[in-house]
Amino acid sequence: MSFKVVHYINQFFAGIGGEEMAHVAPELKEGIVGPGDAFNKAWKGEAEIVKTIVCGDSYFAEHEADAKKQVMDWVKAEKPDMFIAGPAFNAGRYGYACATIACAVQEELGIPVLTGMYEENPGADLKNKVLIVATSNSAAGMRKAAPAMAKLALKIMKGEKIGASAEEGYMPNGIRRNFFEKEVGAKRAVDMLVAKLNDKPYTTEYPMPSFDRVAPNKAIKDLSKATIALCTSGGIVPKGNPDHIESSSASHYGEYNIAGVDDLTAETYETAHGGYDPVYANADADRVLPVDILREMEKEGKIGKLHNLFYTTVGNGTSVANAKGFAAEYAQKLLKAGVHAVIMTST
Amino acid sequence: MKLELGYIQIKDIQFSKECKVENGTLYVDPDAVKAYLYEDDDVKAWVKDFGFDIAKPGESVRITPVKDVIEPRVKVEGPGGVFPGVISKVETVGSGKTHVLRGMAVVTAGKIVGFQEGIIDMSGPGADYTPFSKLINLVVVAEPNEGYQDHKHEYEHAVRIAGLRAATYIGELGRSVTPDETAEFETYGIKEGIEKLPNLPRVAYVHMLQSQGLLHDTYVYGVDAKRSLTTIINPTETMDGAIISGNCVSACDKNTTYHHQNNPVVANLFAAHGKTLNYVCNIITNENVYLADKQRSSDWTSKLCRLLDLDGALVSQEGFGNPDTDLIMNCKKIELQGVKTVIITDEYAGQDGKSQSLADADPLADAVVTGGNANEVIILPKMDKVIGTLDYVDVIAGGHAGSLREDGTIEAELQVITGATNEMGFNRLSAR
Amino acid sequence: MGTLGNPRDYLILTNNPLVRQCMEGRGHYTIRFEPERSFREILVEARDLVYAGRTLYTHPLAGSVKPNETPYKSLIVSMEPHGFDEQHAELMANAIAVFDKFKPIVRELPERVLRDFQLIDYTLLCGAIGFDAAAGLSK
Repeated sequence: MSFKVVHYINQFFAGIGGEEMAHVAPELKEGIVGPGDAFNKAWKGEAEIVKTIVCGDSYFAEHEADAKKQVMDWVKAEKPDMFIAGPAFNAGRYGYACATIACAVQEELGIPVLTGMYEENPGADLKNKVLIVATSNSAAGMRKAAPAMAKLALKIMKGEKIGASAEEGYMPNGIRRNFFEKEVGAKRAVDMLVAKLNDKPYTTEYPMPSFDRVAPNKAIKDLSKATIALCTSGGIVPKGNPDHIESSSASHYGEYNIAGVDDLTAETYETAHGGYDPVYANADADRVLPVDILREMEKEGKIGKLHNLFYTTVGNGTSVANAKGFAAEYAQKLLKAGVHAVIMTST
Repeated sequence: MKLELGYIQIKDIQFSKECKVENGTLYVDPDAVKAYLYEDDDVKAWVKDFGFDIAKPGESVRITPVKDVIEPRVKVEGPGGVFPGVISKVETVGSGKTHVLRGMAVVTAGKIVGFQEGIIDMSGPGADYTPFSKLINLVVVAEPNEGYQDHKHEYEHAVRIAGLRAATYIGELGRSVTPDETAEFETYGIKEGIEKLPNLPRVAYVHMLQSQGLLHDTYVYGVDAKRSLTTIINPTETMDGAIISGNCVSACDKNTTYHHQNNPVVANLFAAHGKTLNYVCNIITNENVYLADKQRSSDWTSKLCRLLDLDGALVSQEGFGNPDTDLIMNCKKIELQGVKTVIITDEYAGQDGKSQSLADADPLADAVVTGGNANEVIILPKMDKVIGTLDYVDVIAGGHAGSLREDGTIEAELQVITGATNEMGFNRLSAR
Repeated sequence: MGTLGNPRDYLILTNNPLVRQCMEGRGHYTIRFEPERSFREILVEARDLVYAGRTLYTHPLAGSVKPNETPYKSLIVSMEPHGFDEQHAELMANAIAVFDKFKPIVRELPERVLRDFQLIDYTLLCGAIGFDAAAGLSK
């Protein structure tokens, strides 16, 4: 008996057409289509693609929820041992679709997944959530990518221990794994130094955690004349979450008016955040977004004014790129509104 | 400075009534060694007895708790003697000729503190992680005198000296043996080096020495490294035992005396010397606890790099936590002098590999070599024979209550294995 | 070494009885002995003081003994606030992050092991500030 695999590809790799056909809705096909052939050959009968799902890149981008649901239904019905998407190389929307759908299959159906793409593909943002094999930046790299993906996929299906990223070819996913190199560390260090001295490329074995330091603004001289805004990644929203901010991996932020609101109560506000125990925030949302205290300070004249709008999202699993995007947008609104300073609360 | 090493390959060790090296076999009389150890007053005062054993690669043997590993060497030509300032007089070493009994080591073992760690398995999965499983080991197990509990400093010193004396005694047996192979190592004076190798980048090795306190010390010509300023040493001096280990904590990433004698960074820089780089010298610096000391030492390191007009520096670390700060300070300050650096470290990324690996970080540390994640869990099967004692396995780093199972297997983190994630880059182990 | 600082400015935070026993009354420093606090609680206390502007004198992760092994922690901050230092604050925050990544070990340590952990913590502290550890022990 061989393992069953469902494969996801886009309209281009299915031979339907390029950008002009990117609108096609998902379609379920028997057996292999396009690149699946390379996987089947590499598995030599130990595993087999039983179904191929084809979906247009534009369709996925524009109807993500529908496309996702359709794909998930088909995968669920098939109960495969593994779900493979792509490889997508440098195709941005295809890469995004592969990583997103693989992530959903893994999390919601508990089926192991694997995808592949170029390191700079936007889909690679999800590399800490799904295993992504690093490929070259064009489809010409298929001959290398397919065997690497097939080999790793088979290992996963067999339940074998997965080696370090450098051995298996997947993108570093934040989980450090030991393995034996060919050379001792000191030799690798000398080689790395010689490369560095000669301005040749080298790869650090431990990338430092990313630093995104923001230089602080100048201090506000007179708080009593300043307009202060409240913002939060703690998910505080008006009761009922009118804009449906997601409990995790938020795709948008909310803007709400608190003119005349002195206190956030259990009846009026709550948290949309799914990453912490919401009991205390729901009982009194001021604990996360301290409107009550700011109002007091406003009355005492300690601050000039509390801005009448607050901005909120859920920080839980939200990508750095998304979070940056939200802030860049509402920072402009705050500037326009003449806000002098922001208190940003987290959880 | 030029040193010739003559390697005498040791293929077997046998207990005997006489002491000699013949046809690659070391014959050793434990009583003779013991008598030599007891010639030292501190050893006499603190060590009740010594046990001797031999452990060979592939045997079902576990040595624990390991204190130090030392390679027997003897100075046959040129000034000074091995382990200057400790065993021999303080005279400068590193030139002339030294014989090395290669393929073997003297391993000191035995309890010092109640959480004494360090495991060398001679076979099985654990053997893959320690370089000492590939050597024939003459194990010296020390047993303390009564009352040592209140004199740990003195006892640690006595065991350290005993190990060095044993290695010296054995090394002496190789004095008149013809080496199987010889190799020469030479670095130049500053001006001489520039003239001889005008087109090659100038590189130094920044060698960080563990220097935090009891069981965390390193000695250079007998000087406690924490009381020294950052300074320069010839690479060949380390081959004669100028730097010795007084470090017994964090088995996986402590540098034993063997590591100092066979420093892999020194070896690999020499291999590249005259080809792709000009190996100028070693800079030794410490890893003190007091923050102002760290500042001073790392300032000094970068100052020397600049003064030597280096193009590149390779920095190695020893230990966990506190030294991460020195490592990053050194790297950052050297880079800011315009000298390109590569650092060697190891990682504590948690058992699941998901945590931040180092206690400190900086974007300038953009070229890192890692010796692997010391938190990774390993199961060590029961061995037929234990040299030393398993009494401490339940309390050693990375072990936990019940880590010594009833069937004799040990479940622990790689931390417990001597030399497993060495930060000089002695091993092939790495992580991504 | 560590001879530059003014011992009068040393506030030793410790949960280690041996530190008190050996060092009390033998210098111009102040010892805040808090046996009820855990290793982590000592770190948190020091962090909060450093956040409030005290100078950190010794590295919070002194010693290679892993933080989940030993129950003892001693470190030195200044008596007086000398102003907020970003590096010191980061060292303290990182130290707590390091502590938290080690898997807690639940076990009863025998008295002799506890004594050795006390000794190591004490001697590391001594080494940092140049206090004669042996003299303290003979007290």
